[in-house]
Amino acid sequence: MFKYLFAKNEDIPAGSAAVYFGYSSIMWFIVGTGLGSFNAAKLAFPDFVYGIELLSFGHMRQVHVLAVILGWISMAFAMAMMYITPALGNTKLWSERMGVWNCFLWNVGLALGLFLLWMGVTSGREYSDLPWFIDLVVIFGVLFPLALNVWMTIKTRRTQGIYTTNWFFGAATFMVMIVFLVGNSPEFFSLTGLTEAYLTWWFAHNVLGLWITPVAAAISYYIVPKVTGNPLYSHRIGHLHFWSVVVFYSTPAAHHLMSAPLPEWLKSFASVEGVLILVPAIAFVSNLLLTMTGKWKMFVENVEIKFTISGVLMAIPLNMQGGFQQTRAINWYIHGTGWIVAHAHLALLGFSTFLEAAAVYYGLQTLLRRKLYSLALANFHFWMLLIGFTTYWTSMTIAGLIQGAGKIYEVPYIDVVIAEHPYMIARWVGGTMVFLGNCVWLYNMWMTARAGTVIPAGRLPHELAYER
Amino acid sequence: MAWKLDNPLHTLTSEDQNQSATELWEAESLGGITEDNNRLPQPVLSLLVLTIITAFLITFPLWGQRPHAAMYEEYIALMDSPEVQNLSDEKAMQYIVDKVKSSGSKWGPLQERHPLEMDDLRMIKAQVIELQKKGARLDEYTIVGNKVVMANFEGNFIEDKGNMRRERVQPWWDKGYTIDIFFILVFCVALVIVVKRLPPFSFQPDHSKGHH
Repeated sequence: MFKYLFAKNEDIPAGSAAVYFGYSSIMWFIVGTGLGSFNAAKLAFPDFVYGIELLSFGHMRQVHVLAVILGWISMAFAMAMMYITPALGNTKLWSERMGVWNCFLWNVGLALGLFLLWMGVTSGREYSDLPWFIDLVVIFGVLFPLALNVWMTIKTRRTQGIYTTNWFFGAATFMVMIVFLVGNSPEFFSLTGLTEAYLTWWFAHNVLGLWITPVAAAISYYIVPKVTGNPLYSHRIGHLHFWSVVVFYSTPAAHHLMSAPLPEWLKSFASVEGVLILVPAIAFVSNLLLTMTGKWKMFVENVEIKFTISGVLMAIPLNMQGGFQQTRAINWYIHGTGWIVAHAHLALLGFSTFLEAAAVYYGLQTLLRRKLYSLALANFHFWMLLIGFTTYWTSMTIAGLIQGAGKIYEVPYIDVVIAEHPYMIARWVGGTMVFLGNCVWLYNMWMTARAGTVIPAGRLPHELAYER
Repeated sequence: MAWKLDNPLHTLTSEDQNQSATELWEAESLGGITEDNNRLPQPVLSLLVLTIITAFLITFPLWGQRPHAAMYEEYIALMDSPEVQNLSDEKAMQYIVDKVKSSGSKWGPLQERHPLEMDDLRMIKAQVIELQKKGARLDEYTIVGNKVVMANFEGNFIEDKGNMRRERVQPWWDKGYTIDIFFILVFCVALVIVVKRLPPFSFQPDHSKGHH
């Protein structure tokens, strides 16, 4: 990477930035899930690593969350944008050098930000935990260069039309900067009280709604038609998906605070919009599943499709939960319980991770022109992720229901803790499976770069998957 | 960019524009990816309509109603009666509930939905009596834990002692829903315009023309 930081743009091989982002994302995924496994162990076994302040849950939790969001997920997004955006415009990335710098500064900035969080320098606001000066670095040093590269690549495309994926990429890179600017305004302007609470959850909601969800979906709009060879089922359903994300996903932030003294009309408004999140979800899922027509065997045989369609299918329970758990009656029961933790992991570790993993698998093979080193290890990775995640999600959902019952019926807290214990152990087992699966993934992709069979010109990696 | 408005649910674009769009659609390669022009399947469309209806039905404030002070006014009035004074807390509470129920309270269903104990009543008693003395409308005050506070509903303007002020009672409909309807209408209109500017869904591109 370092040799390209000061090289001329034309001397940097096309796809370099995407490759660096791809490997960075896998490494941050290992860091993030490793921390998650560590934290889960502390919840399952309270005496585990006891008495060291810097390794206490309070110091470690937000490092796990932001390593996953800004390290794994967002870097996988950057990787996908750096190779998919130019591919869809039949052109090159606008500035490969800016992409390489982007990746370098992203890694350095994130490491610094997470170190500060670990040391306890934090805004204390969930999801927007980073202190304000790191927020500014994220906006202007990380997100803006990424956005500029995406926008300029779209602008300099050699096609007349813009494919659905690039609508999402172009819009999401703009929206996420607005989310960071507005969502962190309590720190920039010392806003407190209810305003701070609302903006904290406005940020948390929209990082999901206007960044993670649409970009993950955009990736699958590329991977499924590209790998199956089928046309996207419907351009016009793509419109329904895109515009309903913009209108209905951007508005329901107040549904995270249904018991707070916000104006009741704002809660009513947000609660309806919250159910309407199902509109983009239905459009997205139906469009992708209909695109699979005639190619369902690839769901079993092909790694990228296996990951992508699993992610698409997870969008169904994800949005059914998301749409209904925020209504007043249900929220009363599950608010503040492990149910919400399970839901957040369904969004980040289920739905979006599976879509991003497909993008990284496909992108690295395509850009390196190397066939996957081991299909068996890739399948092992898939099942470790799926079984690990499912174990995590199921156990935390059950734990959340127990906590909800305990809350409503005023069961003594310690009794609830005892009742949850087996589910906390299951959570740790599930999370650790994901972590171990990712270590195998890194090895597989490392060996792909070093020893993968060269893909001949004119062939695509998935076409060679079963050829020796 | 010409507009054609004689059959808006078919197309909003002139024939020559549609023609050039279909030619481009078939000829252009977007990184080797192609797209079809299928309409939203009818069952999925029905699901979307059902979603919108459900969104309103399931989110009415009524389903998550909070207790207000007026519901417990009759309970508090009975707290100092000799019958209640002579009973243990549990029996006293049962007596109060039965008594109020048999006398036919207008808040009956809400009282059943929000049961409480004598200790709860004791915590709010003084605050409710204070509000009664002020002549406040008790259904505008919410019980939050051990506090009786002005509800944060923003209802219609009403006349109160010669002044106009906002009513603070729990509505079955509020301006949040009105804004929702506005959003949905604008969304539907905008989406119809966007989609109907495309070639009609009777056109399905022949991908063999521009792609291998």
